[in-house]
Amino acid sequence: MSYADYINLVINGLVEGLIIALPALALTLVYGLARFPNAATGDIVAVGGYAGLAAHHLTGSLIVAGLAGAAGGAVASVLAYLLAFRPVIRRSVITLLLTSIGVGFVIRAALGVAFGHDPRAFDMPLERAWRFGDISIAPADLSLAALTLLTLALVFFMLYATPLGRSLRAIADDPDLARVSGIRRERCMLAMWTIAGVVCGIAGTVTGMRTVVYPDAGWNMLLPAFAAAVVGGLGNPLGAVMGALLLGVLQELSTPFVGFVYKIALGYVVMMVVLLLRPQGLFNRPVGVR
Amino acid sequence: MLTYLLSILVIMGIYMLLALALDLQYGFTGLINFGLAGFFGVGAYASALLTLKAGWTPLLSFPAAMLAAALLAWPLGRVALRLRDDYLAIVTLGFSEIVRLVLVQEQWLTNGVQGIPGVPRLGAGWGNARFSDMLLLVLLALSIAVAVAVLRRVTHSPYGRTIQAVRDDETAVYVLGKEPARFKTQVLMLGAALSGLAGAYFAHYMTYIVPDQFVPLITFYVWMAIIMGGVARLSGSVAGAVLLVLFLEGVRFTRGIIPGVSDADMGSVQLGVVGLVLILFMRWRPQGLFGGRGAR
Repeated sequence: MSYADYINLVINGLVEGLIIALPALALTLVYGLARFPNAATGDIVAVGGYAGLAAHHLTGSLIVAGLAGAAGGAVASVLAYLLAFRPVIRRSVITLLLTSIGVGFVIRAALGVAFGHDPRAFDMPLERAWRFGDISIAPADLSLAALTLLTLALVFFMLYATPLGRSLRAIADDPDLARVSGIRRERCMLAMWTIAGVVCGIAGTVTGMRTVVYPDAGWNMLLPAFAAAVVGGLGNPLGAVMGALLLGVLQELSTPFVGFVYKIALGYVVMMVVLLLRPQGLFNRPVGVR
Repeated sequence: MLTYLLSILVIMGIYMLLALALDLQYGFTGLINFGLAGFFGVGAYASALLTLKAGWTPLLSFPAAMLAAALLAWPLGRVALRLRDDYLAIVTLGFSEIVRLVLVQEQWLTNGVQGIPGVPRLGAGWGNARFSDMLLLVLLALSIAVAVAVLRRVTHSPYGRTIQAVRDDETAVYVLGKEPARFKTQVLMLGAALSGLAGAYFAHYMTYIVPDQFVPLITFYVWMAIIMGGVARLSGSVAGAVLLVLFLEGVRFTRGIIPGVSDADMGSVQLGVVGLVLILFMRWRPQGLFGGRGAR
């Protein structure tokens, strides 16, 4: 292994980390406001993948595919909230958690029945990778990473520079205080689920373009996203993104030593070590009760 | 026909053990274990490997399977039990995936995705396969009876009241001078041992095990069973396991009589129904079909 191979791995890790960052961000947003880890997040990603695939098939445009993926994810996410989560939103964490598992199963079943189980690929032109010495970068990866970064930037702008974002963060901080301050909770929840869905849908489209779209794609993304969000500290948006990038690079760099199978396990192991040593996550300040 | 009936009864029994384990952990102690399939798999592989590769008798390999699963639960307890409930769910789910990845990767030991064929049946030297299955069913029934008796004693003892207090109000337990984390670790290990036992029965009944038999879906089947049957009631777990297997067999039967439906589609329908049952029960009947005390 020369240094260039490691740099290639780091680049690949950053791209994969960016993609995982999207569902991790969605998880952490839902956790911050609705207070449960949403196990259906991955399956919303898969919905976005199929929506993006269909749009790309019809129009051939990547932009349209991304927008359709975002719209598909948002619709699935809001529907899941209205039909399944809202009626039980005040019950215990386990009720919500099991409901989210159920929602995920229903979505995955629907995708399987509607689109079949064969993996489908985006019809993308093959492009030669750009080479700088021994370092190679796929142009497609670069544009997908740019799309991901743009999405992240928009979400963070929304969270930290708009009145809506301020309301969302206020609810996450202290729901009662937010309510007595006149923040309309229901509107904020709808907005939050829409944003989470958009982010997941784009993640689905982007992963679909890099690999393939299949009904279980989302479930396979769920645990890495959990790991990233926990490493960064659940409820902390920036932490989720940093955690995803960290895990992405770490997993890629470990591949030459531990192989492809344990690369995935490494993410969970890092998560458990972080929980053992710093339960609040790497980027959260300590909180009394967790 | 008898073979089919036998297989249904054995699978029911295995799910009963798993449901009892989960009910002890979740129903009585409030521990959200999403890694049941991991402990189940560890038990199955431990007993299979010990009898096949080390030549142990099942008399020893079954307790070893329970021990192996229980020991793996211990570090999990250390990691997760100081955290909020939902973290335990994520950690145990991750654990069961790690177990599956190890089973896939360590081919020198587990033969990877090809799995382990030829796990010896119980009492293989004494009679034919039918005899072995009957013997296994009898032993399984005995194990369930013992497990129910022990759990009933445990849950009605001061210890049982303590773990239920851990579920209902951890701070109160703490104030009474008891350490909730210790009780949680013990319950996690006890439940893991039961799951490991279920795994050992599974391995010696199927005689062929692959990592794909221990996917998280199995965990959620068991969750569905205890939620249908009603949590924190041992009879509810047993009834839930019966309902679950009837449901799974019903789906298989339906596929048999509707022509032109592929296995994959039927798998999707089955998954969807499991999902719907989880959603609807959590919303409308969190106490399960048969009602029950301690329902939340």
